[in-house]
Amino acid sequence: MSDDALFDFLHSEIVNYVLERNQSQNKDAKDEDLSNIEYIGFSTGYRMIERLTKEMPRFKDELETMKFICTDFWSAIYKKQIDNLRTNHQGVYVLQDNAFKFLTRLSSGKQYLEVAPRYVSFTCGIIRGSLANLNINCLVTAEVQNMPSCKFHIQVQRT
Amino acid sequence: MAVCVAIIGKDNSPKFFACLNPDEELSFQYKVLSSLDVVEEKLSAGNKAGSDLRELYLGMLYSLETHKIYGYVTNTKIKFIIIVDSTNMVLRDNEIRSMFRKIHSEYADIVSNPFYTPGEQICSKPFLNNIRNIMTGTV
Amino acid sequence: MRSSVSYILSSTTSEPTMSHPDYEQYSHDHAALLVLVKHVGSQLKPKVYGKFFEQISKINNCKITDSTGLLRNIIVRYVREHPVENNDWGDFQTHRRLLGLISLGKYDSQQELSEICRVHESLKVKYNTTLFDSRCIFFGPPKEMTTPVSDDSSSCSENEVKKVDCVEIEKFTTPANFKTRALFYDEVGPCSDLETQVNEFVNSLFWVLESKRLERSREKLERVSLLLAPFEKKDFVGLDMESRNNKKRCTGRMTKHLGDLCLQAGLLNESLAYYTAAAETLKTINDWLWLGAAYEGLSTASALALYPEMPRNMPLHRNASLQEGSPRKSSVSVNAPLLSSPTKKIITNSLLPEDISKRYREAIIHYSKYQNAGIVETEASFKAARIAVEQNHALQAASFLQNVVYINLTLSEQEKIQRFETLAELYSQIGFNRKAAFCQRLAATRYVSPQNTSPNWGKCYSLMLQSLPGHCLTLDPVEMKETDQGWPALQIQLLQELVVAARRTGNSALATRHMTFLLQTMWGHLTPTEQKELSIQLQSLSAQCEGSPVLLVLDSGIVVPPANLTDIPMCTAFIVRDLQPHLRPKAIPTLVEDPGPFLFTPRHFGGGNSLDRRQQRAKTKVDFLWVENEVCEIQVKLVNPLPFELKVSNMRLLTSGVVFESVPETVVLPPDVSTTLTLSGWAREGGELELSGYSTHTLGVKSNCKLKHMASTNFPNFYKVDVVPALPQLKVTTSFPPSASFSNFHDDNIVTSAGVTLFHGESTQCTVTLTNIGQVDVEMLEAEIHSVLEPSLQDQIFSWDDSEVQSQLPIKPGTSATLTLRLHSAANFLAPNVTASPSTLPHDLSSGVYSSMSASVTGGSLPSRFNSSFRSTNSAMSSLVGLPTVIQQHTSSAIEGQLRLRYSGGPGFKSDYCRMCSVFIMIEMIPSLHVTNWDVLPAEISSQFYLVLDIANLTSQEMELRYTPTKTMLIEGQESCRVPVPVDRCPLSKLSKYYEDTEDDNGSTNVDMTRICSEHISELVDLQWLLLATDSKGTSSLKGITLTSRMMDIVRMSPLMWEVQVNGSAIRPQEDINCDAGDCLELKMNLTNSLDKALKQLNVSVQFYQDYENGNLNYRLDTRLATTGSVKKTINCLQSKEIASHECNVIFFTPGQYKVDIQCCAPDNFSTMCASTLSTGHVWRFTPPINISVK
Repeated sequence: MSDDALFDFLHSEIVNYVLERNQSQNKDAKDEDLSNIEYIGFSTGYRMIERLTKEMPRFKDELETMKFICTDFWSAIYKKQIDNLRTNHQGVYVLQDNAFKFLTRLSSGKQYLEVAPRYVSFTCGIIRGSLANLNINCLVTAEVQNMPSCKFHIQVQRT
Repeated sequence: MAVCVAIIGKDNSPKFFACLNPDEELSFQYKVLSSLDVVEEKLSAGNKAGSDLRELYLGMLYSLETHKIYGYVTNTKIKFIIIVDSTNMVLRDNEIRSMFRKIHSEYADIVSNPFYTPGEQICSKPFLNNIRNIMTGTV
Repeated sequence: MRSSVSYILSSTTSEPTMSHPDYEQYSHDHAALLVLVKHVGSQLKPKVYGKFFEQISKINNCKITDSTGLLRNIIVRYVREHPVENNDWGDFQTHRRLLGLISLGKYDSQQELSEICRVHESLKVKYNTTLFDSRCIFFGPPKEMTTPVSDDSSSCSENEVKKVDCVEIEKFTTPANFKTRALFYDEVGPCSDLETQVNEFVNSLFWVLESKRLERSREKLERVSLLLAPFEKKDFVGLDMESRNNKKRCTGRMTKHLGDLCLQAGLLNESLAYYTAAAETLKTINDWLWLGAAYEGLSTASALALYPEMPRNMPLHRNASLQEGSPRKSSVSVNAPLLSSPTKKIITNSLLPEDISKRYREAIIHYSKYQNAGIVETEASFKAARIAVEQNHALQAASFLQNVVYINLTLSEQEKIQRFETLAELYSQIGFNRKAAFCQRLAATRYVSPQNTSPNWGKCYSLMLQSLPGHCLTLDPVEMKETDQGWPALQIQLLQELVVAARRTGNSALATRHMTFLLQTMWGHLTPTEQKELSIQLQSLSAQCEGSPVLLVLDSGIVVPPANLTDIPMCTAFIVRDLQPHLRPKAIPTLVEDPGPFLFTPRHFGGGNSLDRRQQRAKTKVDFLWVENEVCEIQVKLVNPLPFELKVSNMRLLTSGVVFESVPETVVLPPDVSTTLTLSGWAREGGELELSGYSTHTLGVKSNCKLKHMASTNFPNFYKVDVVPALPQLKVTTSFPPSASFSNFHDDNIVTSAGVTLFHGESTQCTVTLTNIGQVDVEMLEAEIHSVLEPSLQDQIFSWDDSEVQSQLPIKPGTSATLTLRLHSAANFLAPNVTASPSTLPHDLSSGVYSSMSASVTGGSLPSRFNSSFRSTNSAMSSLVGLPTVIQQHTSSAIEGQLRLRYSGGPGFKSDYCRMCSVFIMIEMIPSLHVTNWDVLPAEISSQFYLVLDIANLTSQEMELRYTPTKTMLIEGQESCRVPVPVDRCPLSKLSKYYEDTEDDNGSTNVDMTRICSEHISELVDLQWLLLATDSKGTSSLKGITLTSRMMDIVRMSPLMWEVQVNGSAIRPQEDINCDAGDCLELKMNLTNSLDKALKQLNVSVQFYQDYENGNLNYRLDTRLATTGSVKKTINCLQSKEIASHECNVIFFTPGQYKVDIQCCAPDNFSTMCASTLSTGHVWRFTPPINISVK
């Protein structure tokens, strides 16, 4: 339990730190710049995936990779699996976590909804970084309508 | 015991190259470079065939009179190549496999190292030592 | 793949082996009839031979109906060479037998004709054992084209070798013993019946083959003799030929042989049956070699059935080393329709696609057991690989090809090379480009190996070049840098080999180019020693052929892009220099249309999500301008990365856009030291200039070093500079010495300076000479002064005549114009804090000093001590001299100004550009004289007054002061004196408007009036002085002199004219009235309004007082006098020019000095209560007060 809490605390401190630093650097920015948090996630995901896929057989296709993200990958980070995976089979995947770890302690409902993006961008980065290292270039966005539920949209970019 | 271990990046350029005998490095580089053809073919064939080549270990890529060349590709498309002496009959498939797994572990570690940026040359000394130990079988 | 029991089954002695491997074989060739098309004699040009070879080769597939009416599909393979030894393997695989011969030869004489016949015959003899039929094609001399042999009518079979004598030709006949069908053609003609002839020839071959096949097939299998591969002959000596095993061996081998024949005769089904049977038989007796052959036959027949089009479908890419018109090339799909494959359905015994490779593999393993079958094995491997290619099984193909390398053959160098080339070709067919490149490189090295007796560097080079892509190398350095592909160790080696090969082929230009490429692209991967050595090598290579940045086109059509040494020397800075400040063109401001209040600024959406945070490149557009035909400069910082001195010559700027002429520079760079160099040139027209880098010539290589290709990534791709059309250039000099200091102005435009020292009030002239040193007329010239001074003061100090300047335009190149700048040392000559004192001066004091002042008018200077009597409320003022607090404010000061000249002309002027330069002017102003105090006194005539000035000479020289046109005075250095200056009173005309607008409640009215009076004084009073020692002269103005209201009344003309009469007689100023006590004096006063408007509410009052001359005034005179009549009167309205009169009488009771103050007071406005207005505004006195001495 204690190591989970540590991760939670560290994550929220990172969020605070990055936002504060952003604020001191350019005060006139309208929207919160979460790209630094996302980048931290990206780097983490990119490095971590090597370890997580070490014992995995080669992924057959994109969908199989996504399934891995939903199961083993999610369990490794959040100690639970993604609750729902949907895809249009054209490169868009929606991963739904009904109790997203970083949101469960915040609220269950609409309170603090406006700050939710801060607490999902790191994870967006992790997904994007992991997939990037698995040679799937994508855009990852998150959608929070009702905390602590969160949907991650993965849009694969094919060149 | 392996005579050469190479780690090839996503872009098919060498990120790490270790030889027991440094004089042979150039000739090994030629061998490793041409073995990439087989690796690529196996990967694309693996995609077609499916189940058969799902394993990260690709087996022997090709053999020469003097050397045998084995390949292993991670899920992140990093290639590990091991060259062993053809005369070495002690090394069975299983030993090669376990060498690859150890190398993969080392690689996963170095990627987690904040001082290493994935995609660059690996010049960490402990990494080199560890790989050498794997090559010589002292691990 | 190879059998682990290699070689054990064959003897090690050198048997006659097939020493000429045919790597080009396809499995389909097993079914083909082999025909040699031979070039005979030296007359026939290879090109013509090639042409006919191709023509013949097209007939590679014939449909022949056999005796049973079955259509046979006969394949023919034409070759240019056939080693006779290969015939020895004809029993083993019949397609190796040469069945047909076509000779091609040209003759001009009978002798040559006979020679061709002789050679043909000897060839027939050579291939005697296998040859079925032959043809000889002759090309006669052109003029004989009308006489071809017309013996086609007598077609014959091989059995009946007809004497083809060309008796029709008178001159040329084949020898009598020539027994081949001769065909005569014209080498340039259409040869229309050639196809028919060849078809007929193939027919003839088929029938012979068919008859042989039938003959063989009729033989009893039990009785057949043992067929042997060439090397086997010895092995069976002494063996029991009658053994069961041997019988089986004979049968098996014959069955296999029949399979071969059937395959060739177009009987696919039969051949498959035979092969299958043969394999069964041979397997039982472990006849590995022939089992292998049977398996191979099975595979080839199956492949033929499954992929009848195979060879034709092959990509036609060939190694450049192959000759043009190789057999298969000619067979491109021409006969494809002929080879329809409806047979597929009826094929039995055919192998499944996946089994073909399996069987081939087995065959190869069996072959590998025999050292002497090495070539068969090699060829089989190639054939199997080609089938795998057809099946799209790259890995299988690769394993077959890999096997080829294993086979230990004693081959000639040429054959080894061919083997590698074929391997390379097949590898590239399966997409194994790296492997192919590896083989190409091996082949290349073989071409020049020490074992090779005839090294061929050209081939070596060509192959090396081909192997580059497989080693992740391209010849374009730019592309190389973009796609940094790793493997530098290999690439460096390969490039070095390439350099050697290029050098050995004698193409020094290429050698230089490749070495340049090597240094350019691999620099970072080379050790310092390598860098040094390769650089030295490049130097020696380029000594033979200088490298230059042009495309090199090889004979093969390959284009070698230029290689530039962009980083030798390394450029660490590339700075576009602005012109010198005074030469910078400025836009002449024109009225710009208002673009409206909305400025659209697109918001930059940064790629916050991207992994690589892109470095911002430097700005490309420089924000200054260059001028046509004027030197433009760029500063580059170069570092020599080599450990020896590097000479870089012919460095020029690389530009595009407007025409630019660059000055070549040469620099010698010491190792590892940064050197700054300036590259310059002239833009020869106006417009936009793009600076993309510079060219160099170093290490013998000319390079175009573009910024975008340089290692340093912080350069933009190019810099853009706008070039302004030509502008004139002025050189500016002044007649003054340059100023010592350049203090406050940090304006870069300053080209020269002038310094001068002036006493306050002194003037001088400075001549500024403007010389046009450019090429263009100066058509426009504007001058203006810039300083921190107030504009009005600035205009006092600096002035010039603009028309003088304009009249000299245009200034032609080489000529000069002058501008005369007048400098005046303007200063405030008035003591600053005197302003307050006069107003507090008692009235009588002024009058008291008056006499002494008037004395001074005649008596010269007043001693300074007189000032002590000049009482002032400010005691500090009592002594002027030696008081530092006063002097300090009048110490010398420096005035700095800048004469800015804007000028333009020529095309630049038309484009609205000009230049600006400045002359810095420093005027040191030192005090001359100073007015320390002043006052006004009424003059003897009412139209004037006296301005009394205390003037201090602040210089150390004697000063001659001229204070009126006629009066002068000498003042010693550091002394002061008092002078009265008669001044006309300020006329009402100047002031009238202030009286008119009394309605306006205007607080500034009085101030303005004071100002006007002050200006009036400064206009009229001119204090001219001359310093006798230095002969400096100047004028001091009283500008800004302050006046109190009391003074004002004296200074200005009164709007009310007083006319006062005492006892009927008018009073003159300064006149004392004497009377006795008790006398009645009649005072009559007339006031005339001299304004243009009426004055209202005027209070006239008459007041008597006594002045005790100690500052006390006594107005309480009730006991001393009595008045009759009103002493006060209010005039409600006094119209313009109207005269109001008032009278009163006075009787003095006691003697004494009395004074009468007559005044008229008018309220400024209706608020008459306002005391200040009363006192300051409109009190007009009759001045001076009337003195009455009562006795």
